[in-house]
Amino acid sequence: MRNLVRELRAERGLSQGQLGEALGVSRQTVNAIETERYTPSLPLAIALARYFGRTVEEVFFHDGAERNGAS
Amino acid sequence: MTERSGTVRRDVTRSRWLLPGFSLAMGAALFGAATYGGHPTDGLWMFGVMALVAAGVLVASRWSETISGLSGPGRDERLEMIDLRATALSGLVIISAVIVGFLVELGRGHGGSPFGELGAIGGVAYVAAVVFFRTRG
Repeated sequence: MRNLVRELRAERGLSQGQLGEALGVSRQTVNAIETERYTPSLPLAIALARYFGRTVEEVFFHDGAERNGAS
Repeated sequence: MTERSGTVRRDVTRSRWLLPGFSLAMGAALFGAATYGGHPTDGLWMFGVMALVAAGVLVASRWSETISGLSGPGRDERLEMIDLRATALSGLVIISAVIVGFLVELGRGHGGSPFGELGAIGGVAYVAAVVFFRTRG
């Protein structure tokens, strides 16, 4: 499962720790999501997408799938 | 009510003192059992080892997010998943050892005790857990 978390976080100038704190997860978990070693649960994926003002499909997508409305 | 109970339980399981406290309690239980069995010196050693484990967890959790998360505070869904998988793997290792022990005991002409009983407990617990979690979706 691919995602745009790193790009969206960088756009806002946040550190992994700051994003993790905002979402109630550890810095390591944010790093694991960004490096695609961990696929978050649906509630966390929704929280991430809402935090960035996107839909889940815009932030998370399958390899080879067309990004849905991501800039 | 349910949510409040869940919150209280979560607060307890997220305390940084839970694992060290459990280690110390386990050490005290080992000391008590060894003393009752007539070996208080062995019991003191066991308590000392468990106290070292408790201190090690407390100190290590200050610089390791993984140890901190696995021992309580800072636990998130990824660490819960890691904990779950590690517990499942540990269970697999233990049940494998029990099966091997049972076979060895049978091969030595014994009844297989206590490995047979341990294996039965593991099997019944597994089936009960499957039934329980199946009903919870």
